[in-house]
Amino acid sequence: MKATFPHLGNVYIAVKALFDGLGIDYVIPPQNSDHALNIGTKYSPEEICLPFKIMIGNYIQAIEQGADTVILTGSCGPCRFGEYCELQMNLMKSLGYNLNFIVLDMPKDIGIKELFNRLVSIGSTSTKSKFEKLKAAKLAIHVMHLIDETEALSHYLAGYERNKGECKRLLQECKTEAMKCSNPAEMLSLIKEYKKRIEYVSVDINKNPLKIALIGEIYTVIEPYSNFYIEDKLMDYGVSTKRGMTPSWWLKNMALSPVKINSLNIKKASREYLSLEIGGHARECIGEAILSYKEGFDGAIQIFPLGCMPEIVSKSILPSISRDFEFPIMSLVVDDMTGEAGYITRLEAFIDLLERRRDNVLYGS
Amino acid sequence: MKVGIPKGLMYCKYHPFIVTFFSELGAEIIVSEDTNKNILDAGVKYCVDDACLPVKIFHGHIDSIKDKCDILVIPRIMQLWKNEYICPKFCGLPEMVINSFDRLPVTITEPIYATSKKKLYCWAKTSGKFLRKNNHEIKRAFVNALNAQKDHKTGIDDSGYEINITLTGHPYNIYDSFLNMNLINKINKLGMGIKTAEFTEEDILYQEAENLYKRPFWTFVREIYGFALNAAKEKKADGIIYVSSFNCGTDSVIIELIKNSLPDFPFLILKIDEHTGEAGINTRIEAFRDMLERRLFNESHISTLG
Repeated sequence: MKATFPHLGNVYIAVKALFDGLGIDYVIPPQNSDHALNIGTKYSPEEICLPFKIMIGNYIQAIEQGADTVILTGSCGPCRFGEYCELQMNLMKSLGYNLNFIVLDMPKDIGIKELFNRLVSIGSTSTKSKFEKLKAAKLAIHVMHLIDETEALSHYLAGYERNKGECKRLLQECKTEAMKCSNPAEMLSLIKEYKKRIEYVSVDINKNPLKIALIGEIYTVIEPYSNFYIEDKLMDYGVSTKRGMTPSWWLKNMALSPVKINSLNIKKASREYLSLEIGGHARECIGEAILSYKEGFDGAIQIFPLGCMPEIVSKSILPSISRDFEFPIMSLVVDDMTGEAGYITRLEAFIDLLERRRDNVLYGS
Repeated sequence: MKVGIPKGLMYCKYHPFIVTFFSELGAEIIVSEDTNKNILDAGVKYCVDDACLPVKIFHGHIDSIKDKCDILVIPRIMQLWKNEYICPKFCGLPEMVINSFDRLPVTITEPIYATSKKKLYCWAKTSGKFLRKNNHEIKRAFVNALNAQKDHKTGIDDSGYEINITLTGHPYNIYDSFLNMNLINKINKLGMGIKTAEFTEEDILYQEAENLYKRPFWTFVREIYGFALNAAKEKKADGIIYVSSFNCGTDSVIIELIKNSLPDFPFLILKIDEHTGEAGINTRIEAFRDMLERRLFNESHISTLG
């Protein structure tokens, strides 16, 4: 078995740690690029959402490097992501690839036994003992948390740094160096070291940078290619950013959701505007918008792929939040046809607007 | 007390229940008129631009009755069958509406779980309280409403036509003759009989959907997919016409699933949105009919490619 998986932000670093620890053969698909998207757009159904298309690109590029098994997570919320596995299996089959899918679904839907079987089918090719396997899983989760924290920290400090671009450079370096590690323990200590280095980046605490929260659909928010590297751009502009959606948040949320104690702060914050779970991460989007206002952010940017059903609902709620709290929120819709120039213009205009609001410049008078 | 009921989305299927329930409670029912140009325009004006056409039209219906009633019913249909949803937009419909209009009367937005009588009664109980009725009255109205719904049959099952097609899609796309530009009439006029999903047993629909790798979690995926497959297998029809609204999330999945399972079956997809031109739709249906005719009568089923 040579396993592969679709990209989602920094997940590949943690997965590398996991598979290295387990001793399973794997292929990390090339980083998302126009090429991957082009492949995906060519074969995918026209009206499906953007993540699907990029994922198909990932698979085909990974197959070219010898992958034969795809590991994918599922969901049974009313959002389209739950149907991805079925459609992608059919699609890859009709393209003539003999690809094995292992779908890690919620136990609520497939039963805990089936989930366990599927997990075992991944682990069975590993020669390591049970103890070592559990240790590898623990290490991988640790790596995931750590890389997410490191990233969040550098995004936040980017607004305060004295030497422009230092946070960005360190973060980049951290990721490339991490990929060179051959065992998970080494990777862990390396990321720890980089986290320290980012913590000690020389900052000017008297600076008062713009702070923007990124909210919206989980894939497009986390995966930098799909949102045109918005976080890197904002780092260049000297804006502090925060995003609540991270792979480690998702893991925690999934683990806690059966006992319904997941993301309590978000549930509480969103209650007034969206009191029910409607699928996808609409509720989280609403909750985070309100939370980021309360934390003193200057504005929020919502990103979602064209036709994303839950986010359309939250998009129609966000103007009310914006009005009630006097909190600017911009919605950006991405798909395979989005032009980058128009996207950047909107981003710049939004930042200008936030800056002017601070200086109390009213209506250009 | 005037209760406003918008004639959008699932109204076409469940109007006996909802109308009977509120009129039995002694309310005066205000139902919006059939969809028309004004309603469509209002919908496009108020609704968030990414939404699909039926949701926009629903907003139009709200706009046309919001000033005429004291209480507005916005059905938040969460589940019709166990473990199945309709669409996230249905679950968040009241939020979409409430945040799109400036002033609205009191709204009934209780979630509807129609998986069992008991759960549905929960909705009836909280909704009835809006009209200041006691439990006894609500119970009576609820039972009557259920009976009215039971007696009501929707669906088309034409006979006596040379060519038969199955008309699939979400019911609000099929039965709203303004939205789909009088599609049913058009198809009939071209000499094609229509069959819709309502006449196929639930068990058969379940069975067909069981062959899928993943249990569908949308009611319409199971129903439409099951029906299309069953009709093709049992030769109930010669082709499938699928009415789909642009940017519909569930449709993009259902269509792929059907195409996959029926690669050689005539399948026409009509995409509609607020800009759809009628002439284009006409041409496509006519062409589809011509194709079916040639397939059935003039040519054998052997491919011309050999």
